[in-house]
Amino acid sequence: MKDYIDSGALEVFVMGCATDEEVEELLYMKAKYPEVNEALKQLEADMEKMAQNAAIAPPPRTWDKIEDEINSLILTEERLNKPVQFRAYDTGYGGQPKTPAADQYIEVEGASSHMRLHKAWRYVFAAVFILGKIFLGFAIYFYLENRQAQEQIKELKTEIKELRR
Amino acid sequence: MNTQWQTSGSMSQSKLSAVSTLYANYAAKLFGYIFEVVKNQSVAEQYLVAVFNDVPNEIDDFLKTGANALCRLQMMARKKLSEFFETLDNETDKQALQNLQPLANNKYVAMMSPLQQQVFYAIHYRGHTIAQVAAELSKSNEEVKKVLKQCFTIIRNGRDNERLHR
Repeated sequence: MKDYIDSGALEVFVMGCATDEEVEELLYMKAKYPEVNEALKQLEADMEKMAQNAAIAPPPRTWDKIEDEINSLILTEERLNKPVQFRAYDTGYGGQPKTPAADQYIEVEGASSHMRLHKAWRYVFAAVFILGKIFLGFAIYFYLENRQAQEQIKELKTEIKELRR
Repeated sequence: MNTQWQTSGSMSQSKLSAVSTLYANYAAKLFGYIFEVVKNQSVAEQYLVAVFNDVPNEIDDFLKTGANALCRLQMMARKKLSEFFETLDNETDKQALQNLQPLANNKYVAMMSPLQQQVFYAIHYRGHTIAQVAAELSKSNEEVKKVLKQCFTIIRNGRDNERLHR
């Protein structure tokens, strides 16, 4: 047992670099020999003392960051563990439809003000743009044609009036 | 059903409370340990937060009788810090880190010989295994364990001397 303590196996365990077999052996020795347990406690006290010597107080807001993170993890965990209840929405008393609880809706509106489209839409937009131009051209052409025809009708009417006189 | 949710809620609260107690007792020690490695307060804080965020997942190990909380926290930090060493950007950074004297401020380690410091630094701060250190130093595993034991003897003697001088 003394050889075991002197071998450095306890130090390796305290430093966290023991193999699985070494850990098993240590747990067995610790349970069997109180001296091993005592030596282990001494080593842990050494580590504590050394850590105390190098201790530095963390920045004041550090705990708040940890608490926020853990709380958000807990909330997520609770939501995931909560059983899902599906039910049909029937009408309530007096023919009033029952409205589902607000938390049963899934928020689908994204926070971003931008939207993404499939690249195929660019051909549609190009076609709409070209068609728009063509219709505009036709509109101008027929407007001018119409105006010219109106003027010709006006002239013809004038000529007819003059001939009647 | 409600009782189940309440139980899960109270369990979560008890986890948070356990983490809070661990933080109160060990945050300064762990922060000092991490700072000795990364040499940057902001980076050290990020690692400290990352370690304590993982504590709720391993809280059962902390609650086991006989488990040493500081050693457990240091093991978790060591695992995170091994990622720090792996993600150093280039050879210059790695060289600069190797040239650092992370143990100069630690009075116990300052009492160790260069070989003892080398072994202690590789295992305690860089999270190397005994086999890795043995290969690096061209020594056997048993020799490395002996050197590590000597390191602890030096720490204990320093501790005992302090008690005598009080």
